[in-house]
Amino acid sequence: MSILTTIFLIPLFAALLIALIPRNYRFVIRCVALLATLVAAALAVKMFFNFQAGQPGYQFEQIVPWVQSLGINWHVGVDGVNVGLILMGAIVAFAATCLSKEIQSREKEFYFLLLVMAGGILGAFASLDLFFFYFLHELALVPTFIMIGVWGYGERKNFATFQITLYLSLGALIALVGLIALYLAVPRPNQVPAGATFAGPPPGAVPITNAPPIIGGIYSLSVTQGQTYIWTKGTNDHALANGSLALLDSRPFVAATNFVLILGKTNAPVTALVQPPRTFDIPTITAAVRKTPLPLASQKFIFPLLLFGFGILVSLWPFHTWAPLGYGSAPTATAMLHAGVLKKFGLYGLIRIAIPLLPEGAKPWLHVLAWLCLGNILYCGWVAMRQRDLNLLIGNSSVAHMGFAFLGIASLSLIGITGTVLVMIAHGFLAALTFGLSGYLRQQLGTLEIGEMGGLLKKLPFIGTLLVMAMFAGCGLPGFANFPGELLVMFGAWKGLSNFVMVLAWGALIVGAIYALRAVRNILHGPLPERWAGVADAAGWWRKLPFALLLVCLLGFGVYPQMLVTKVEPGVAKVLKGEEIKPLPTGKRLPWLPVPMKKN
Amino acid sequence: MIDFDTLKFPEDVAWIVLLLPLLAVFVTTVFTRRDAKLSGMISIVAVCLSFLVSVGLFVLIGATEAKSAASSALDWISISGTDGVSIELCLLLDPLSLLMLLVVTGVGAAIHIYSYGYMHDDPGMSRYFACLSLFTFSMLGIVLANNFVMMFIFWELVGVSSYLLIGFWHEKASAADAAKKAFITNRLGDFGFILGILLIWSATQGDLSFDALHARLATHPGALGPLACVAGLLIFCGAVGKSAQFPLHVWLPDAMEGPTPVSALIHAATMVAAGVYMLCRVFFLFTVPAAWPVSLSFMQGFTALDVIAWIGGVTALLAALIAVQQNDIKRILAYSTLSQLGYMVMAVGLSTAKAGPTPAMFHLVTHAFFKALLFLGAGSVILALHHEQDIWKMGGLKKKMPVTYWTFLIGTLALCGVPPLSGFYSKDSILALAASRNVALFIVGLLTAVLTAFYMFRLYFVALVGRERSEAASHAHESPRVMTMPLVLLALGSVTAGFVGVEGVLNKVLVSSAELHALPWHKAILAPFSHAPMAALAGLGAVILGFSIAFGLYHNAATDPLPEKLGFVARAMRNRFYFDEIYQFLIRCAHEVASHAADWFDRWIIAGICVRGASSGTDLFGRALRLVQTGNLQTYAFLFVVGVALVLWFVLQ
Repeated sequence: MSILTTIFLIPLFAALLIALIPRNYRFVIRCVALLATLVAAALAVKMFFNFQAGQPGYQFEQIVPWVQSLGINWHVGVDGVNVGLILMGAIVAFAATCLSKEIQSREKEFYFLLLVMAGGILGAFASLDLFFFYFLHELALVPTFIMIGVWGYGERKNFATFQITLYLSLGALIALVGLIALYLAVPRPNQVPAGATFAGPPPGAVPITNAPPIIGGIYSLSVTQGQTYIWTKGTNDHALANGSLALLDSRPFVAATNFVLILGKTNAPVTALVQPPRTFDIPTITAAVRKTPLPLASQKFIFPLLLFGFGILVSLWPFHTWAPLGYGSAPTATAMLHAGVLKKFGLYGLIRIAIPLLPEGAKPWLHVLAWLCLGNILYCGWVAMRQRDLNLLIGNSSVAHMGFAFLGIASLSLIGITGTVLVMIAHGFLAALTFGLSGYLRQQLGTLEIGEMGGLLKKLPFIGTLLVMAMFAGCGLPGFANFPGELLVMFGAWKGLSNFVMVLAWGALIVGAIYALRAVRNILHGPLPERWAGVADAAGWWRKLPFALLLVCLLGFGVYPQMLVTKVEPGVAKVLKGEEIKPLPTGKRLPWLPVPMKKN
Repeated sequence: MIDFDTLKFPEDVAWIVLLLPLLAVFVTTVFTRRDAKLSGMISIVAVCLSFLVSVGLFVLIGATEAKSAASSALDWISISGTDGVSIELCLLLDPLSLLMLLVVTGVGAAIHIYSYGYMHDDPGMSRYFACLSLFTFSMLGIVLANNFVMMFIFWELVGVSSYLLIGFWHEKASAADAAKKAFITNRLGDFGFILGILLIWSATQGDLSFDALHARLATHPGALGPLACVAGLLIFCGAVGKSAQFPLHVWLPDAMEGPTPVSALIHAATMVAAGVYMLCRVFFLFTVPAAWPVSLSFMQGFTALDVIAWIGGVTALLAALIAVQQNDIKRILAYSTLSQLGYMVMAVGLSTAKAGPTPAMFHLVTHAFFKALLFLGAGSVILALHHEQDIWKMGGLKKKMPVTYWTFLIGTLALCGVPPLSGFYSKDSILALAASRNVALFIVGLLTAVLTAFYMFRLYFVALVGRERSEAASHAHESPRVMTMPLVLLALGSVTAGFVGVEGVLNKVLVSSAELHALPWHKAILAPFSHAPMAALAGLGAVILGFSIAFGLYHNAATDPLPEKLGFVARAMRNRFYFDEIYQFLIRCAHEVASHAADWFDRWIIAGICVRGASSGTDLFGRALRLVQTGNLQTYAFLFVVGVALVLWFVLQ
């Protein structure tokens, strides 16, 4: 079993286990959740460091057939694009579980949902099958709604739940329409255009005797991977029982999971062709589309669906209003996991699916996207300046950061999209850290109104220092992981996009500094109001651990980003340019049943 | 990651200089936070070791013939290919950076030691030293950076350490506000800086390192195309922010809220001079043929250097005028710093490709000594008077604080430019340059020199000599030796830095034609009078003029006579020409309005009309459709018929 499947299954099994533990065994429940996320995080770290940068294809790959008639398989694997995301997701999941001590009622249900959410999102990032990719995201999304509704904070909790549910369901739905359209639009793997002529068996073709009869319906023919079967004898009717098969190695078809069964005559036009079923397999689809791009019309139709569907999930302007309020009302762990990890799913979908499969469809939208990014970066920065509630401020600033990620995608360049991946990872750690810190403040103060705070650094040296660092990381200070990401995005976008947009986007860093430092000034600096004389700092290493862990990740990738770049860059290059099609090691592909389709 | 076999000697020793302070930051924050004295010692030892290693490097590399050397490089971000970008961490060692290294670690060491006495009773001493070491690390990074991005990284880091140190006493609202203001104002400048970097990167197909860029521009002077001057000015924006040039000068006086040694190290000697250092480092960018894009064609005929020179000149004069009417001892020195930085920037702007920006760097070095000295002296006075900073409550300190008094006097004389102290030589080299290049700026320089002498002697007559003006002043006593020793060391530097050959070291790298050679010190003392007598004598005259006015007005004065004599002008000077108020207003107008508008739009248009509209529209539609579900068979039959009719109509049409 691949390490990825293990990372995905551990939280889900722990969730099942928790369902079996009586609800008053609170300590045991918490221990199980902590242990599960810790093991998942440790495995993710191991996976990250074992990942070989620059290798072609996917690593830690596993394929288990599931619904073959529809082409759905459990297919997981990592390349540069998702290896860092899985690491980030697993670490954030562990930190979020650590910080769930604030939950005082219905712990059993909470931890169950939290683990389902963690498992779902890790699986969604690891999945290379469209079906699981989408399904696991939904699996992670639904607990979010429940957690905000049941364990949320604030007067507007119900409205926030309502809004986030509708908004994200809408986004997911639009993306689903796009994905289904894509599934249908992708030509069946290795479909040979009608009328193609085959001159005869290629050299080296070896005739096979004892070929099974082919008479309509489902062939009882089992074909192994790496080979293409071409009918070399026979007529163009169904009575081909006496024909023999030529077996040959044909590289071009191997890249796809599937292959062609061509029905034809030697030195005569192809008369019929056997079509395999459609597939949900992302690498197969990608390879097929690289060979024969989708028609421009379908690209132009599908891309906006994916852009806005995924865009809503990532709070693309102007579909962002769910985010600040939703995060403001969510329990700490939920906000950390959603803002940090789950939200990146939309961006990941754009990079993994929309950009490589619909490059022509994307082009007319890139400039629109660049301007919408500006809405995120600049406009939401301004909105953040006006917020009086810390969580709303962080929520808006997190929306603003997503603008940089979108900008990298809009640049459609190697540097820019590498930058996007870096921003996604960095922002995951950062959002988790800031929401964790604000959760701590809410626990201590009972409020997050910035106007009521002040001078807290004196009382909270650890939490306060971390909040200062997080705020600095948020306004793009070198040394934290956000800076290299944003820098690369800017380098990538500078040439491709309008310089005017670039200037405004960098200008947003000033806005970022203004609201971040204002928050620090009003929360931590200045005289301490008397009512906060009793607040206590995080004491003991276990309380500091989740914060310190996230900070170390931010600093580590910030000080030495090459650690990520070497891994990410080949993956992004593959997304943009495709890669040489190479046969995968045997034994990983499916046995399979071709279904005959139309015959002329 | 690191291959020890390929390390170079002595170049890679520079990493030790850079990393020692960082190690001190790590140790003091993680391990010795509770032991203030140990933290202080660790920090001091780190910077002293850095200084010693720097001296070693200076000797070892300075002895070789090579003009510059580079350490081993570490890939920080590397994306290969034509559509890639490569950013490496690599240390550049040439006489310019080595000299600056000596200044930063040398003055830094003196100030670290002084801080040990100054911050002795502060409960946050560990934090103080951690921040100070962080600053030293970042500043050394700027000095040693060999490419634009690396310089920008450390540029931001000094900004943040400055923020932390200005806001060191963050319980005080004014300190917290000053810190915020400093960081945000610097950000404005950095915004231009990074845009300039991007512009240069894209125009030169990916060159980011100074050497590569220099070589490319030497062979293809037109490589930057019509954006040459714009790129230069954008890079200059960084210096405008960090070196507090007009119009971004407002943060520096407020930065005096930090502890006094911080003001000496960061806001006088090193960080604020980083802008000037950076301009000297990338001077080759400004010497390419001037070109402007079409939209800026009205600038035709000017070069980026002209703009730089005038901004420097305006800053020098403006700040000197403001300094005349300040009463806070640290603010006077802060405006004086601004004014001197303006001098340096003006000198960069006046320099030519042939002679290089030697005078600016020379003044930077001497200024580092005497301004640090003045600030530390002021700190000694402030501490003796129990944190009193108003000069009208000081006085009569000559007997009570002899070391402080004499060293402060040396600093004052050096700053005013009295021979044979260091300030005279560096200021003279700038004045001589201005006289040969631009008469208007020469007059600006002279006026500034008069004003400098005036406000410094005003300070001297009011704060140091005469009678005691307050209770605290009469009980003042000399500071402990840990604080006076650095004063003496810096005074020594202030006296000698002018004629010990700093210029010669600088000429080695900054001047393209190496015809100049260093004079022996006894000849160097009188050199200014022989090679540009007019400028030297004019400078001397300016000092005498400024001194006599100050003597006339302030010798034994009880109150300030100027407000009565000058009226509104004096009030405007005291209120810093209302820059802060104007900026406050502009910021209100721009960002606050924008943020109000954005918030309003978000709340009412997007979340209100659009989102709520969509949801209530759906709701309304549902309610309307509900009316159709009457449960009445006749209605359904009627609707069915209508439907069939519609379908038929569509089909048959």
